[in-house]
Amino acid sequence: MEGILLHILGAIATFLLAFFVGMTYGGIRRKVIARVQNRYGPPIYQNFIDAFKLFSKTTAVHHGAMHLLGPAFLIVSAVMALMVVPVLRDNLWFTNLNFHGDLIFLIYIMVFGPLGMALGAGQTGNPNSAIGVTRGLSQMVGFEIPWVMALVAIMIKYNTTSIVDLMNIQNEVGQWLIFQNPFAFIAAILASLGMFRYAPFNIVGAPTELASGPASENGGKFLFTMMSAGSVFAFVKLTLFVDIFLGGASNLIVLVIKTFLLYMIPVLYGVVNPRYRTEQAVTYFWGWPLLFGFLAIIYSVYF
Amino acid sequence: MDIIILILIVFFAGAVLTAFSEKISTLVQDILFLGTLIVPAILFFTGVEMNTDTIISFNKVPLNLGMTPLSYYFALIVMGLAVLTGVYTVGQMKGKKRKGYFYLNYILSIGAMFGILMSKDLVSFFIFWEIMTWASYLIVIYNGKNVQKIGIKYFVMSAIGAYAMLMAIVLTHSLTGSFLISDLISGFGSWDHGMQILIPVLLLVGFGVKAAIMPLHIWAPDAYSNSPMSYTAIFSGALSKMGVYGMVIVFLALLTKVPEGALIRDIVAWMAAITAAISTLYAIKQDDAKRLLAFSSIGQLGYIVIGVAIGTPMAMLAGLFLAFMHGVFKSTLFMVVGAVEKQTGTTDFTEITGLIRKMPWTFLAALISIIALAGIPPLGGFVGKWMLYESLIQSDHFMLVTLVFFSSTAAFLYCYKILFGFFLGQEEKEWSHVKEAPALMVVPMIILSIISVVLGTFPQLIMKPINAAMTFYGMPDTYGVLWKESMLFNKWGSDIALTPIMYGIMAIFIVVAIFLFFRNRSRTRYVTTKDISTSGEIPKEHENLTFTRGFFQPFLRAVEPVMRKQIDKYMLSFAQGIEDLFEFTRRIYNGNGQSYAIYAMIFLIILLVLGKNLFG
Repeated sequence: MEGILLHILGAIATFLLAFFVGMTYGGIRRKVIARVQNRYGPPIYQNFIDAFKLFSKTTAVHHGAMHLLGPAFLIVSAVMALMVVPVLRDNLWFTNLNFHGDLIFLIYIMVFGPLGMALGAGQTGNPNSAIGVTRGLSQMVGFEIPWVMALVAIMIKYNTTSIVDLMNIQNEVGQWLIFQNPFAFIAAILASLGMFRYAPFNIVGAPTELASGPASENGGKFLFTMMSAGSVFAFVKLTLFVDIFLGGASNLIVLVIKTFLLYMIPVLYGVVNPRYRTEQAVTYFWGWPLLFGFLAIIYSVYF
Repeated sequence: MDIIILILIVFFAGAVLTAFSEKISTLVQDILFLGTLIVPAILFFTGVEMNTDTIISFNKVPLNLGMTPLSYYFALIVMGLAVLTGVYTVGQMKGKKRKGYFYLNYILSIGAMFGILMSKDLVSFFIFWEIMTWASYLIVIYNGKNVQKIGIKYFVMSAIGAYAMLMAIVLTHSLTGSFLISDLISGFGSWDHGMQILIPVLLLVGFGVKAAIMPLHIWAPDAYSNSPMSYTAIFSGALSKMGVYGMVIVFLALLTKVPEGALIRDIVAWMAAITAAISTLYAIKQDDAKRLLAFSSIGQLGYIVIGVAIGTPMAMLAGLFLAFMHGVFKSTLFMVVGAVEKQTGTTDFTEITGLIRKMPWTFLAALISIIALAGIPPLGGFVGKWMLYESLIQSDHFMLVTLVFFSSTAAFLYCYKILFGFFLGQEEKEWSHVKEAPALMVVPMIILSIISVVLGTFPQLIMKPINAAMTFYGMPDTYGVLWKESMLFNKWGSDIALTPIMYGIMAIFIVVAIFLFFRNRSRTRYVTTKDISTSGEIPKEHENLTFTRGFFQPFLRAVEPVMRKQIDKYMLSFAQGIEDLFEFTRRIYNGNGQSYAIYAMIFLIILLVLGKNLFG
């Protein structure tokens, strides 16, 4: 019984951590973009204020059952992904379901949420939402290819598909995977530009063009749910990158430093770029990222 | 009397009775139809025993019948789907013309499929195979639309497959002196090398036609979309699996014994992977639900064939598991399209929108089968996909796994198109009269959806028969090695436990759903889809805001170079060339006595001139 209680408490702690870190990073991102554009920008804790405001609002209207359930799909997928990604090495608090999930499961569970959200957005009947969804799905086909190639390269390098094993082996060998197979890291980080959906790949939300796309009919608690799911997802992706490329983290400070450095890559790439058209955003990933994916697999097989 | 013969008699006698009972009353006909499908299913699930031999002789030709674990597994798919789609068919065919004709062929094809699975020798296999092809051909042309183009395409491809198979059967008989499949398997190892390659390839061509593998797939999109949806559920769900069944035998029992087997495996797997990728792109392009699902079927069969062709224990497990899952979710989707067609009269995405509130149960069935098709956990499709990827990575097919991943991610696009096109989006006045489909049609869909959900958490329910089938053909026991209860393992010992994942997802979903759904549903007001944020402009009632035309246009623009080449065009130009040849021959044999006299003269002159050289 105590074991179950510890598990539940650990899961809640993981979620709170992911929520807090993800929200803070979002705030930092807004600040960074503002400074690059020579503005003062909002305070770093602005996202928490926004979240609190959205949470305390009451919703007045809805468009039907799927619309109400869409954000639920999103948060389920975010939390399940969080449960299978190891946050720290050898830590009792953040174990969760780490030992029962692998990379392929993770790829698929991360898709579950956006698809459910897409259904919710579809029922609102707003054409902008549907356009945003079709763009998002198209872009996903684009970046999944180099992403999967990078993961396959890693899996065959170490003969495992478990994230925990990958992390442990890197520490036993004493060398991070980013040095052992740099091509895989490059392919994965280029794919992550699409995953984070910051400029130039922000074709889904596309402010001033699609009126925030799939989110356009949602407000109040729905928007809060989507916002927290987004923050948790950002944390999951960053932690996953740290786990599989940077040898994981033994305590929270190391984790924060590593994830922050990784987070700056898509943010800084995006801040100086305008937005792509959809077909450009798709075919981008079939150029250099794909080549690096090939190189990663070849490197893993022959070296 | 033996129970297998009894089942076959019920099928064939029932088919004839059902066809002629149209004159009595439609109710009697429907009951007879259902009875003919349900009685054999009950007999099958209660009475048929493994590994018993039955011989019936027709005019000194013995037909050997019996069940192996592999045929039991495929018979599960056929008999289960036959009953559920049978119930659905009664609902869908209500008020249609020529029901006797349809029912007759429907039952005949199911009986023939059962016969194929129970055949222990190649002669009966071939006979039942031809009955199945004929019956399905007659249903493809049931609508009477484009019979020339569609029917002939299907029939020519089936004939190519049948001749290839017949040749293989005759060759086998000349080598072993027996038609028994077990003799083929046991004698295969000692034949000379050429035959060891030729016979599997010929058989694969025969089976590849039914499994719609490129370049033998060209009949499938038209044939699938042209038959009534209640039959397409069988067509894609069960009949195409007969090709897979044959392939499993070829790959499991024959090709393991030849050194070139590995090459053939790779070639077939690559052809299947390319089929999957290209047909997925074509599915995204379609604006008609029937054609979309037809292309999607071809793509999904591609995954199954990849698994079967690679042939490692896990790949075989994945292929066979996906075969079952595909039968379940794809038939549900065809049923959904049939239900929408019956209620609205069209299956065009650009016309129908916003049916979710009018047909909620149909939507639920569609949603669950779409999640299963997309391979998203915790439903059954994920289990199959997971095993397929793991097996491909472990057997060093890295490019293949990337291609499969591409097609399976691209499949999300058409998945969303089905759900959005029919059920979501703007609710237009044009469709406000639409009601939920009759219970006879809804209940089978819901039952099949429940099966999808259950198999996602408890895949061991069908892993056991698969395992029995694989060990029967000499594969290692996979229980406890690749799967145990609801745990899946790969070769490296990494595992995935489905039960805690399922419970985790359920728990979080219920908590959030209560929070968002039930609280908000009662406290908020429903507004129509016209009441949306459009920058202050309020759209009028007649203004059409639906977005369905050019749905994935940017994506299709991105993949346009791949889709320019069509195998169909090559086939058609080949057919045109053959036709030109016949036209030329026809000009020679023009029926004019004068020309024949000239030919005789020319022949004589040639003889006179060259005679000395040729015969001297």
